Amino acid sequence: MIEKFFNPNSVAIVGASPKPGKVGNVILANFKKRFKGRIYPVNPKHEEIMGLKCYPSIKDLPETPDLVVIAIPAPKVPQVLRDAGEKGVKATIIITGGFRETGTEEGRRLEEEIVKISREYSIRILGPNCLGIYDNWSGVDTFFLPDEKMMRPPKGKISFISQSGAFASALLDWMAYRNIGISRAISYGNKIDVDDVDLLDFLANDDKTGLIIMYLEGLKPGRGRLFIEKAREVVQKKPIVIYKAGKTSRGSTAAASHTAALAGNYSIYKAAIKQAGLIEAMSFDEIMDLSKILLTQPLMKGRKVYVVTDAGGVGVMLTDALTTEGFLLPRSPADLKEELRKVLPPHCIVENPIDLTGDTDDDRYKVVLDILLPRDDVDAVVVGALPQVPGITSKLADYLAEARKYGKPIIAISIGSKEAEKFKDLLEDKGIPVFESPERAARALRALYLYSKIRGVARE
Amino acid sequence: MVEPREIILNALKEERRKLLEHEALELIKAYGAPIADAGLAKTPEEAGDLAEKMGFPVVLKIVSPDISHKSDVGGVIVGVNSKEEAIEASKKIIENVSKNVPSARITGILVQKMAKKGLEIIIGGLRDNIFGPVVMFGLGGIFVEVLKDVSFRVAPISYEDAYEMMKEIKSAKLLEGYRGQPPVDKKAIADIIIAVAKLLEENPEVDSVDLNPVIAYPDGAVVVDARVILKQ
Repeated sequence: MIEKFFNPNSVAIVGASPKPGKVGNVILANFKKRFKGRIYPVNPKHEEIMGLKCYPSIKDLPETPDLVVIAIPAPKVPQVLRDAGEKGVKATIIITGGFRETGTEEGRRLEEEIVKISREYSIRILGPNCLGIYDNWSGVDTFFLPDEKMMRPPKGKISFISQSGAFASALLDWMAYRNIGISRAISYGNKIDVDDVDLLDFLANDDKTGLIIMYLEGLKPGRGRLFIEKAREVVQKKPIVIYKAGKTSRGSTAAASHTAALAGNYSIYKAAIKQAGLIEAMSFDEIMDLSKILLTQPLMKGRKVYVVTDAGGVGVMLTDALTTEGFLLPRSPADLKEELRKVLPPHCIVENPIDLTGDTDDDRYKVVLDILLPRDDVDAVVVGALPQVPGITSKLADYLAEARKYGKPIIAISIGSKEAEKFKDLLEDKGIPVFESPERAARALRALYLYSKIRGVARE
Repeated sequence: MVEPREIILNALKEERRKLLEHEALELIKAYGAPIADAGLAKTPEEAGDLAEKMGFPVVLKIVSPDISHKSDVGGVIVGVNSKEEAIEASKKIIENVSKNVPSARITGILVQKMAKKGLEIIIGGLRDNIFGPVVMFGLGGIFVEVLKDVSFRVAPISYEDAYEMMKEIKSAKLLEGYRGQPPVDKKAIADIIIAVAKLLEENPEVDSVDLNPVIAYPDGAVVVDARVILKQ
């Protein structure tokens, strides 16, 4: 049912405008640039905008559009919605603000009115007070921020549901700049109708989405249990990374019982996130760290991690960070040591963390990975490759990419300046996530392990 | 045996938001949670008889719809060891309460068998406007009061969820026993957590439940104090 929001054949833009800077101007320009379907500007003041015939109202359109985007002042929205209903429209995105979020009586009344109209005509509504949808495949783009202010990310596997429009646009801009691909992004604002549960349902069955990021402030009353049930289904198909904003306690409102006083808003969400099998990102950095590992790496069967490094110090840091996150760093068994000794120079350390030392070249990594990864007692490998070491070249990236054939997670950390950044880009292009610190790498790997448990691949 | 629905409907009829001590214990017992043996006495003499039947030591608590912090008004006397003591203590409680809260209606005296020492835990439940029934687990005393070391789950929950709640708190190691103590009976605790979840699910009028403390032993667990708040 909400498919049409993402893949309409025709769209009407109410409030389309020729005036630069107007919301209805940016949205129309966005659609003109990338949308392949039919576009109908609606505005009684104009006969033509951007070379497209403009219509005085939805009722005058030559067909019933699959999607109506509304970007006119709030008091005029109910009438437009009614017109849309009469025309048989089933999907609308209401960009306009000025409803319940204002905290005013008038705003609340208007919102209730549009809810009533939408029920009367069974029109699905996304919004109001939102940025709407950015769809990289169909070209639906109601984000009213021009390209030069918000870069559009390339096509990719990540879909993003955001309760905050501003954060959605910031993240998209951030991803675009770093060349991270996006599939579909949704900002739902006041979510008077289409909400998290509907969107998860749609994205679960969307083969263009491999991972879902959610920025959530709060669910609608009474939707919590359904959200958990839906999310549980979805995560068996694809991971959901969630950032829960608004973690502070609701404090004094509920002091009738001890339990209520202890139940801050967040503690219940935290439990729900766990029960739903979502992966929680605790910071902005983590949203992307967790997403990139979950998107690129195979699931892991257990907690046994080996570290291969060219710097002893980084090996120790990684050992601490990984152990803190609950991983086991087994001592290299005798047979492994023996095998490694045969292929490595005598000054290399064959104990886990395996230290190839500062005079290493790319080939030492290759031989070690070829020995480690096929072993049953190795669940993942973390590669510490400081690019300051003279013997490290771009060939190492090829070796690591090649080692993906073993079907086990391989992640890397790279610390430094230009060379480190270059090396990072090279590796990430080949599907090996790179982290800037041992702690971030360990946190990300933990998320992968957690998800592997949720999927039933990893046992306790 | 009283029907749980009856207890709740009766309180609602009398426009009481908080169940009386013995009602709350009866309710939780009806859902299968073991409670420290208790009975309601209408007079000091009845309290003496009840105590004798129950076996000593017992604790006596005022039961009144108008008092929520019983100890603060001299409404609780612990370690009562004979029938005579029970009668005297009951009189004393009524005297204290009449003096400290003259307006309080007195329903009676709860006579309760004193539970053996064990690990004090708290099990709770509440109705969240987004998630519906939610249950809580934590260790009693400073762990809950000061450290707020508790865990939550949205109902319905499985035994696995209940065990995870126990594992999740920071002080989880105390459940495993310390200073030579054997571990507590986690199955018995899980039973009570699940009982609270079920109680909330089946009685939409219940707003929150506090079982504080529940005393956990290597073999079993028992609810000592129960507070049940109904929705307004």
